[in-house]
Amino acid sequence: MSGISIRGATKRFGDLVAVNNVSLEIEKGEFFTLLGPSGCGKTTLLRCVAGFVDIEQGQIFFGDRRIDPIPTHRRGVGMVFQNYAIFPHLSVQDNIKYGLKARNVPAADQAKRVKKVLSMVHMEGLGDRLPNQLSGGQLQRVAIARVLAIEPEVLLMDEPLSNLDAKLRIEMRGEIRSLQQNLGITTIYVTHDQEEALSISDRIAVMNHGFICQVARPWEIYSQPKDTFVAGFIGATNLIQVEMAEAKNKMLVGKCGSVSLGFPLQDGLVAGVQVKLAIRPEFIQILYPGETVPPTHWLLEGRVTRMEYLGNMIKYEISVTEEIKFLILNYHTDPSQLKYLGETVKIHYPIERALAFREDQRT
Amino acid sequence: MKNLFWNLTAILIFIAVIFFLIVPVSMVLIGSFQTSEGGALTLKNFQKFSMYRTYWQSLWNSVSVSLAASLLTILLAVPMAFLVARYNIPGKPFLLAMSTIPLMVPSFIAAFSWILLLGRAGVVTSLIRSLGIPFESIYGHGGVAAIFTMQFFPYVFLMTLSGFNAVDESIEEAGRSLGTGPFKTFVKVSMPLVLPSILSGTLLVFMTAVENFGVPMIIGEQKPYLAVQAYMEFTSEIGGHPGMSFALSVILILVTMTSLMAQRYYLRKRNFIQSAKGRPLVRELKGASYFLATGYCYWVVLIPLIPFLVAMTVSFMETRGPVIHPAFSLRNYIYAFEHAARPIFNSYFLASMATLASILVGVPTGYILTRRRSIVGDTLDLAIMLPFTIAGTVLGIALIVMFNSGLVVLTGTWMILALSYTIRKMPFIARSSSSILYQLDPALEEASISLGVPPMKTFFKITIRLMAAGILSGAILTWITTISELSSTIVLQTPGWSTMTVEMFNGIISDEMGLATAFASILIVSTTIPLFIMMRFIKGERASLF
Repeated sequence: MSGISIRGATKRFGDLVAVNNVSLEIEKGEFFTLLGPSGCGKTTLLRCVAGFVDIEQGQIFFGDRRIDPIPTHRRGVGMVFQNYAIFPHLSVQDNIKYGLKARNVPAADQAKRVKKVLSMVHMEGLGDRLPNQLSGGQLQRVAIARVLAIEPEVLLMDEPLSNLDAKLRIEMRGEIRSLQQNLGITTIYVTHDQEEALSISDRIAVMNHGFICQVARPWEIYSQPKDTFVAGFIGATNLIQVEMAEAKNKMLVGKCGSVSLGFPLQDGLVAGVQVKLAIRPEFIQILYPGETVPPTHWLLEGRVTRMEYLGNMIKYEISVTEEIKFLILNYHTDPSQLKYLGETVKIHYPIERALAFREDQRT
Repeated sequence: MKNLFWNLTAILIFIAVIFFLIVPVSMVLIGSFQTSEGGALTLKNFQKFSMYRTYWQSLWNSVSVSLAASLLTILLAVPMAFLVARYNIPGKPFLLAMSTIPLMVPSFIAAFSWILLLGRAGVVTSLIRSLGIPFESIYGHGGVAAIFTMQFFPYVFLMTLSGFNAVDESIEEAGRSLGTGPFKTFVKVSMPLVLPSILSGTLLVFMTAVENFGVPMIIGEQKPYLAVQAYMEFTSEIGGHPGMSFALSVILILVTMTSLMAQRYYLRKRNFIQSAKGRPLVRELKGASYFLATGYCYWVVLIPLIPFLVAMTVSFMETRGPVIHPAFSLRNYIYAFEHAARPIFNSYFLASMATLASILVGVPTGYILTRRRSIVGDTLDLAIMLPFTIAGTVLGIALIVMFNSGLVVLTGTWMILALSYTIRKMPFIARSSSSILYQLDPALEEASISLGVPPMKTFFKITIRLMAAGILSGAILTWITTISELSSTIVLQTPGWSTMTVEMFNGIISDEMGLATAFASILIVSTTIPLFIMMRFIKGERASLF
């Protein structure tokens, strides 16, 4: 087991810079996720670590062993693929033995390890099955067992759950996480699913256009996104463009047309600067009769222009003006509390929850 | 470093293509501008071509008859493909199996057998005449076009069928739901999607017809055809410079190349191949239309098989020259095995060697085309298109010119025959290997490498293993089509290295019916048995291999 150090890795495909001068330090035993939209370079970066793609600049280390000049089959990586990549002509146990044979593991030990990894992925007794007799979820378990059998130095997973249905996906991600924790194996996990990334990772790197936008723990990524891209990509968020107007008792006020919006104090903002405000929908509340607005909240008024009843919560779209529309997640599902289309409502949000991003400082 | 092996392989294949194909064909090209060996470059041969009726008529005949056959093929095969794809025609697997036979059995056997039936003294000819219908015989342009149509219609049928099967039902339903009726939906939606498949099949018909040597030679009534004329000019010019033969060869290459270019240009932006989620519903035909449709399909498939049955029947009869006595006899076979055991052995030996060589070169080529795209790979892709455009006769002539003298002398050996077959068939193996590879997830190879097996070992342990079934069926098809080859064999054979097809051809020319039919039967059995074995073991994928 060792950590992974990526130093200034760059890979181009023609004019496209798929991985742009990326540096990452991944700790021993860490579950590290590369998250981003398709085409952001996350899979390419993973394949650079695996050795299927050669980096043009930079270096990659496992512990203090430099591995980027070493061919894949001698790197000691274990990779789990999106389409499972189970050898269709080999039985489950022969698939698992495949990597063991390449390492000249004695036959008796091979059988022992097959048994051990099959029980780890809850596939006991299915060793003789052929891949075409297995379901998608089972194939994915075999793929994971096959990789665990070779006890790799690092584990690489390329969107391993994207071909499974929603329920199985949630079940499997829990299993992957606990297997990884029990074995303490350094893991790089690639996904475009932000919920999956938040739930499974020790740390997340959000990527866009070949760059790393932010590296942080899941709750930091969610509550303190570094820029509007991260804020918009992780979870739903309301993004509103405002012009900085004035500073007034411990907060700043921006204007969007005739509407004023409050946000926390920030250095270097002078009147006239364009700012993007990001407010998460779950922080915006509807003011119900009899309630009062706390002094640290900002109050607005708007009309309900969309309403989706989802059972455990309700999604509202509240239009303050033609341009300013807020998405709100509301848990007052009591029928008497429902707001209907066209109703005028008062809404408020904690000022500290409005994150301000200067337009000229986008990364 | 990782790419070294494959780049080296690509370069070796490329050198082989240059040495065994491009240089020989270029020598023919240069020779067509000369009137004596090593003489000054001149246009005299091409002037002669435009001046003498025999020559320009040969171009006109070849092109017009092949075009006619292509059109007839579309008229016959497209409706049939539609019926088989969309309606409840009974016995579809049987129809499919039977329709591949004409492609496998040499077309000149069909030409010859039709003479037995519809020749000047054919059985059916006298029958028709006794009914008072004026019918001369099957000889002539019409007959050549008819036989091309019957022999090559499966190209269009099989390709159009897979085209129809690939159209997702929901696409047609979308058309219907947007307000076009069934017929209009067919014309506006289904047809345009299937058109590329139809054209690909038709191009194959045209190319095989235009380069065909045996059929026009046997029933073309001495009328000139390009492939035949090039051969005649070549063999009549012993010791001299066959400039006219070269010129005709060049014109033949131009015809095939133009048609291939035209097709590629058309298909450039029309790659609609889609994988249908569910096969379109098979609709029910009832009553008269059911019987009409079924009857139509079975007629189209079974009529081309008649000549083969006729040839096999005659082979068991007493014959003396062209005269057939209606009495059972094994004499033809005894004679064939006593006097021509060598050609039988030669055919089997040459087909096996060529198949082996085609696989050894074709499979790595297919791998490079699919998995190692680079400048070398792209050039290789173009280079292996070349054999498709070069008629067998022309390739034979080119190989003799190249390997008659100089550093490597192959003329008169078995190797030149095997070489010619390999050049002609290797591209098919390469193409089918590459289409199998397209369907193999590259992650399988990567998984093997990441589990610690080096790339070369992975290629043999995983890639080859998963391609095996496809390679095997490609090999069987190569073997079958090689053993039936006539057009380059007739140019390259020598008395010691004659083949069954050549013996049969000579038997036909010299009116030795018994010998010819015996060889025809051996050939038919040699080609259909492996074909059916292959069909039993490897289902589907058939159309992709042509």
